[in-house]
Amino acid sequence: MTLSGRLRSSLIIGGQGIRARKLRTFLSMLSLFLGVLAVVAVQAGSVIAQRALLSDLEMTMGRDGTLQLYPPGDDGASAIVLDAVADRTDAVAMTRARAIVGEPGLRPVNEGGGPIDGGLGYGPQPMGPGGEAMACDAQGNCAPAGQERVVPTGQAIELQLLAVSGDIRQFRPFRLESGRFLDFDSAPSLAPRIVLNKHAAEAFTQFHVPAEMRIEGATANTTPRVIGVVDDGGWSPAAYVRTDELVNWMPVDFLTDPTQGGSVELLAAPSADDLERVLRARLAANGMNPDELHVQTIQALKEMESQLALMRWIFLGMAVLVLLIGVAGILNVGLATVGERVEEFALRRAVGTPRLLLAGIVLAETLLTGLLTAVAAIGAGVVGLEGASRLLASREPFLADVAFPWQAGVAGVIAGVAAGVLGGLVPAIRAARIPIATVMRA
Amino acid sequence: MSPTSAPQAIDAVGPGEADQRVPLVRITGLTKTLTGQETARTVLAGVDLTLHRGDSVAVLGRSGSGKSTLLSLIGLFDRPDGGEYLLDGQDVTRVPERRAAALRSAAFGFVFQRFFLLKHLTAVQNVSMALVNGQGWLPRRKRRAKAMAALELMGIAHLAGHRPPRLSGGEQQRVAIARALVREPRVLLADEPTGALDTETGNLVIEALRSATDRGCGLILVTHDHDHAAKMNRVTHLVDGVLT
Repeated sequence: MTLSGRLRSSLIIGGQGIRARKLRTFLSMLSLFLGVLAVVAVQAGSVIAQRALLSDLEMTMGRDGTLQLYPPGDDGASAIVLDAVADRTDAVAMTRARAIVGEPGLRPVNEGGGPIDGGLGYGPQPMGPGGEAMACDAQGNCAPAGQERVVPTGQAIELQLLAVSGDIRQFRPFRLESGRFLDFDSAPSLAPRIVLNKHAAEAFTQFHVPAEMRIEGATANTTPRVIGVVDDGGWSPAAYVRTDELVNWMPVDFLTDPTQGGSVELLAAPSADDLERVLRARLAANGMNPDELHVQTIQALKEMESQLALMRWIFLGMAVLVLLIGVAGILNVGLATVGERVEEFALRRAVGTPRLLLAGIVLAETLLTGLLTAVAAIGAGVVGLEGASRLLASREPFLADVAFPWQAGVAGVIAGVAAGVLGGLVPAIRAARIPIATVMRA
Repeated sequence: MSPTSAPQAIDAVGPGEADQRVPLVRITGLTKTLTGQETARTVLAGVDLTLHRGDSVAVLGRSGSGKSTLLSLIGLFDRPDGGEYLLDGQDVTRVPERRAAALRSAAFGFVFQRFFLLKHLTAVQNVSMALVNGQGWLPRRKRRAKAMAALELMGIAHLAGHRPPRLSGGEQQRVAIARALVREPRVLLADEPTGALDTETGNLVIEALRSATDRGCGLILVTHDHDHAAKMNRVTHLVDGVLT
């Protein structure tokens, strides 16, 4: 007798049993449905949350495995870095500067570059020699508080200006909100094209300011052209600009001078392992200490795992609890069914069915019930997620275009099968132990 | 269709497959004691019985005399406490359960007083359920063909699609006999098969069982009915745990 023959026998008889007791099977499924659905929901939620969190982390930190390189603070080091990545597509240099966009001579509404709704901003609070409070205007002219030249506040926004040498989205996948991102194929423009982040865009929606951009160290105030808005995961107003468009208006040395608040960060693909060697060689050739080139690898997944682990365990524990209640339901119905079918099982033994196959028949029934329940729960999960995506995507962007994760489907099937086995085991053992003489003494 | 024109598929084991001189069943000194909660009762105290191919034996006895116990030992539902049991010359007195299940499938057909048809299955499905017992595998079409042939042998092929509640007692018992015959058994064990039937229907059932012996099948009939017993080749009485 082959195993497949026994398997087929148990499936055939199990299927007949399910068809014969549709209501009871339905009740078993009902008790199990919520448990499997909970497992599916937890797994789907976990995967979706993981994706959403990873997406946010990648926007702020960078994609997993991306190399971050920080050159030493020596004069000329930043220029070496910018030169090294000039023709590369697998690495992008990013410099930071502060800029004020708005009416000339006005203090920005968010002095210090903090969020618009952050009150006075987060810039350093200036103090006089004796520790007295000082107030400064946008040009840096400071006087004791109350005696300063009154510079009107408003109609200007301070933001972080990030100059990039290439498309940074390959390392930090910003979400395009409107317009387009910077185009690095065209010739640089004298009027810098900028892409705002969401916070900057909100600020400019709130304060309709004339477009003049003041950057400390620049040779002149420029007129920026806003070409798009992105969600970069940041918390304060920022704008992205092409490095080669910005250096038309300010020297590279000033842009990257750490004493002026400038800095250079290099993002490179994991495959760009030669870049580090090239940079160290160039730094050494220019008399700098190559060991001061700081390199680190972004580990977004590791960061995220630690954040998600606890949450996942809590929800999984709850799901398992609900599943166990479902198992108890299927066990209860299974025991009642075996009690009802004593004569049938005894008869089957009388015609030569081995004990093991009898147990297999009961297990096949509960397994099929578990699988059917899993299919129903997965279907409900797919429909629910689709509905949530359609109804809530406008309020919760991470739900937009979200696909049902296959991991949740697999978890549902495993939960259904496990519940079927757990719930069917005791009834199966009881069925196998039914004395065959039952049919003789009935 | 008459029983004698049965399809070859359900013909009983024929000559040449086994030594015709070896009895199908040979029981010597079989004993069995049933243990209750407080007392033990010896129901079989040394039973001797021999059954040959095509032979039929009736076992008569009072209620509680141990007729059904004897049948359950012969059918390998249970094991004796003592004695010897040879089936086709092979000692099966202490056969393990796994082997017993295979023998029940291959050698025996059972007919019970209460039919034991499964209500959720049709007549033909009830017959073919004996073919889906984990002892060998037949494709669905072959299972159905065999079951239909067995029903035809019982003259109730036209009722193949009916479920038990729609069948009369006699029809249900004939379905049960078809189920017993569908695996072509060497020994047919019938435990008061007419107990729930009227006389006329009972006679039809006995005739159906008798016809199986025409094809070489051995028949042991446990009954209270002397008329039915008289239609067997031999009649024995179980008295005080011994066959006389």
